Amino acid sequence: MIGDYLPILFVFLLAAGFALGALGLTHVVGPRIKTRVKLSAYESGVDPVGPTHSRLNVRYFLIGLVFIIFDLEVVFLYPWAVIFREQAAQGPFILYEMLFFLVVLLVGYLYIWRKGVFEWE
Amino acid sequence: MSNFDSLAYFLPELALTVLIVSLVLASVLLKSDRDRIVWIISLAGLAVTAVLLAIQPATDQSIFMGALAVDPYSRFFKWIFLVATAVIIIASPYTKQLDGSQRHEYYLFLIAVMFGLFLMASSLDLIIVYLSIEIVSIGSFILAGFLKDDPRSNESSLKYVIYGALSSGVMLYGLSLLFGMAGSTNVFEVQAALVVLPEKAHLTLAVALLLILVGFGYKISMVPFHFWTPDVYEGAPTTITAYLSVAPKAAGFALALRILGTAFGSTGDLNIGDWSPVPGLAFGSVIAIFAALTMTVGNFLAIQQNSVKRLLAYSSIAHAGYMLMAAVILNGQAFGAIMFYLAIYLCMNLGAFLVTIFVHNRFGYDEIDDWKGFGFQAPLIAVPMGIFLFSLTGLPPTAGFIGKVYLFSVLIEAGQYWWLALVGILNSVVSLYYYARIIKVMFLDGEPTDETVTGHPVMTGLILMLTVPVLLFGIYWTPLMGAVQSSLKFFTQGM
Amino acid sequence: MAEFGFTGIAALVIASSFWVVTARNLVHAAVALMGTLFGVAGLYVYLYADFLAATQVIIYVGGILVLIIFGVMLTQRISSAVLLQTHMPNRPLAGVVVFFLFMGLTSLLFRTPWHEGEQVMPESTVTIIGTSLLTKYLLHFEVASVLLLVALLGAAYLSRREDG
Repeated sequence: MIGDYLPILFVFLLAAGFALGALGLTHVVGPRIKTRVKLSAYESGVDPVGPTHSRLNVRYFLIGLVFIIFDLEVVFLYPWAVIFREQAAQGPFILYEMLFFLVVLLVGYLYIWRKGVFEWE
Repeated sequence: MSNFDSLAYFLPELALTVLIVSLVLASVLLKSDRDRIVWIISLAGLAVTAVLLAIQPATDQSIFMGALAVDPYSRFFKWIFLVATAVIIIASPYTKQLDGSQRHEYYLFLIAVMFGLFLMASSLDLIIVYLSIEIVSIGSFILAGFLKDDPRSNESSLKYVIYGALSSGVMLYGLSLLFGMAGSTNVFEVQAALVVLPEKAHLTLAVALLLILVGFGYKISMVPFHFWTPDVYEGAPTTITAYLSVAPKAAGFALALRILGTAFGSTGDLNIGDWSPVPGLAFGSVIAIFAALTMTVGNFLAIQQNSVKRLLAYSSIAHAGYMLMAAVILNGQAFGAIMFYLAIYLCMNLGAFLVTIFVHNRFGYDEIDDWKGFGFQAPLIAVPMGIFLFSLTGLPPTAGFIGKVYLFSVLIEAGQYWWLALVGILNSVVSLYYYARIIKVMFLDGEPTDETVTGHPVMTGLILMLTVPVLLFGIYWTPLMGAVQSSLKFFTQGM
Repeated sequence: MAEFGFTGIAALVIASSFWVVTARNLVHAAVALMGTLFGVAGLYVYLYADFLAATQVIIYVGGILVLIIFGVMLTQRISSAVLLQTHMPNRPLAGVVVFFLFMGLTSLLFRTPWHEGEQVMPESTVTIIGTSLLTKYLLHFEVASVLLLVALLGAAYLSRREDG
C-alpha cells in the first residue's frame, strides 16, 4: 500500500534534485569574476536604489485568501463528484446539497468582485 | 433524522442563511448611503426568523443525523439571541459612533454571528461545536474592528484574533484528545465511551476537559482566559460591546452546560435533573475556583474604571462569574438559575449599554464624572439607567435581585461550596460601590436644571422597553421562571 | 523500507518545525514551514488517508503557505524582518513550563488506551469521505460554507479602503 506512493516520492526527489542540481551546477561550472559591478543586483543597467524588498500591496494577500477559499471548494467538490452518480439515483438531493454550498461561496465571490478586490488601479 | 426531513426543523437557521445571502447581495447592489433599506431587510429577516422559531413544533429531536438538537433548551437560548440581535440592530442607526462606516456589512456580520450562536446553542457534535464557535468568533473579530479609522478598534480586533486563535487551538487539541479516546464526535457516543473508560485514561480525560474549558472559558470571558475582554470591549463600537457582552456569553453558557452535562455526564441524559460527572472527573471544584476568580477579578478591575463603557465591560466579566457559580452544581436547578439570570442579564446589560450610547451621542461624554446632573437633564433616560444599575447590583425590587437569589440558592440548597457563596456575596457588595457611584453622580451631583434633554424616540423607547422586564420580573417573576422550567427539556438519545 | 520512510518523514517534520520556531528571519521560517506541512502530508499517507494527504498539499502547501509569505511581505520594513528578542527574563521559567508540558503530554500519549478503529484498509477513502460528507456530516459541510463566506467578506471588508 505504502509502496503505491513510491512514484510520488520519486517525483519529489526528481524535482528537488533538478532544482538543486541546476543551481549547484552553475555554481560549480560557471566562471566567476567578482567585481563591484558584477556583484550588484541586475536592474537592466540602472543602479539599484533603495531596499530590494518592497512592501506588498494588501491585494496580494486578499487574492491569496480568495484562492484558498476556492481551492477548498474544489477539494470538497472532488469527493462529491466521485459519489455523485451513485447517490443521484436516489434523487436530486445531492445536487442541492452542493448547490447550496456553491451558492453561498459564489455570493462571497460576487461581493469581493463588485467591491473591487480584483481591480488593480 | 435524515437530512432531508431535518430541513423542516431547521427553518429559522435557513431563514438566517437566506438573510445573510440577501444582505451580501444588498451590499453589492445598493449604494453605500442606502443604510435604511439594509436595516429594514435585516429586521424583516429577524422577524421571519422569529415567526419560524415560534411556529416550530415543540419537540425534542436531533436533526441532521444527530448533529443538532432541536429542543426547548436550545429554543430558549435562540430567543435570547434573537432579542439581543434585534435590539442592537434597531439601536445601530441611532449610534453616532457608527456614522461614516459601512453599515451594510455591519448588519451582515451581526446576522452571521447570530447564525453561529444558534448553532452553538443546539450543537450535539464536537465538529459543529468548533465550527459554530469559529463563525461567532470571526464575525466578532470583524465587528470589533469595524471602525476602521479608529486605531483602538483596530487594536481590539487584532488582539481578539490572536487570543481567539490561541484558545481555538487549545480547545481543538482538547477535542482531539476526546475524539482519540471516544472515536466519535457525537456527544452521546462520546459519553458512552467515556463512562467505560479504564482508570488509567482518567488523567487524559481531565486534561482534555481542561483544554476544552479554555475554549468555552474564552467565549464567556472566564478568568484566567479573559485577557482579551478589556481591550476588545473598549475598542469595539459600543453597540458591539453590548452585543458581545450578552449574546456570545449566553451561547457560551448554553454550549458549555450542554456539553459538560451530556458528554461528560455519567448518564448523558440531562432530563434526569441531578447528575454527576463521568467517573474519574470532578470538575465541580475546578469550576468553583474559576467562578470565584472570575467574579473577583472582574469586580476589582471594574472598580478602578472611570469610563462608563469600560466599567460595564469589566463588570460583565463579574456577571459571568456569578453564573459560573451555579454551574458548579450540575443539576436542573442550576441550569434554570443560569438561564433565568441570562434572560435578566440580557435586558439589564443591554439597557445600561444603550443608555451609555445615548449619553455618548447626545453629549459625547464618556467619563463617569461627566454624567453629573444627568438625572435632572434627562430623567426619562436616567431613571431607567438607575434601575438597570440597581438590577446589575442585585438589589430588590429588580429582576437582578431575583436572578441572584436563584443563583445563590443553588449553592445553598446543595449544601456545598459555602465559601463560594460567600465570595459571591462579598463581590456583590463590591459591585454596589461602583454601580452606586454612577447613580450618585447622575442624581446627587450637579445642579437641577429646567432644560431637559430628549433623544431619538427609538432609543428612548428601546430603553424604556428594556426597563419593563427588569422591573416586572423583579416583582412577578413566575412567568419567566415558568418559561425557564418548561425549557429545561433536552434532547437525549434513547439508549 | 516503510519504517525507514516513516522515520525520515517524522525527522523532516520535527527538524523543519524546529527551524520554523528558531529562525531569525520570518521568510526563512515560512519556507521551513513548507517542510513541516509536506511532512504532515507524508504522515497522512502512512495513515492510509490519501485524500487527506492530497488536501494537505493542495490547501496548506499550495495555499496557506503562500498566504503566510504574502502576510510576511505585507509587514512594514520587510528588509529588517529579523526576529531578535534580546530581553527575555522569563526564559528559564518558560523553559521549565514547556519541558513539563512536553513530558506530561508525551506520557499521556503512551499511557492512554486510545480508541481503536477498524483495522481494515479502505479501498478508496474518497468514496467514504464523499458519502459521509453528504450524509452524516452534511450540516458540517454546509456550515463550513457559511464560515468561509464570513471569513472572505470580513477580510475583504477590513482591508478595503472606505471610498471603494
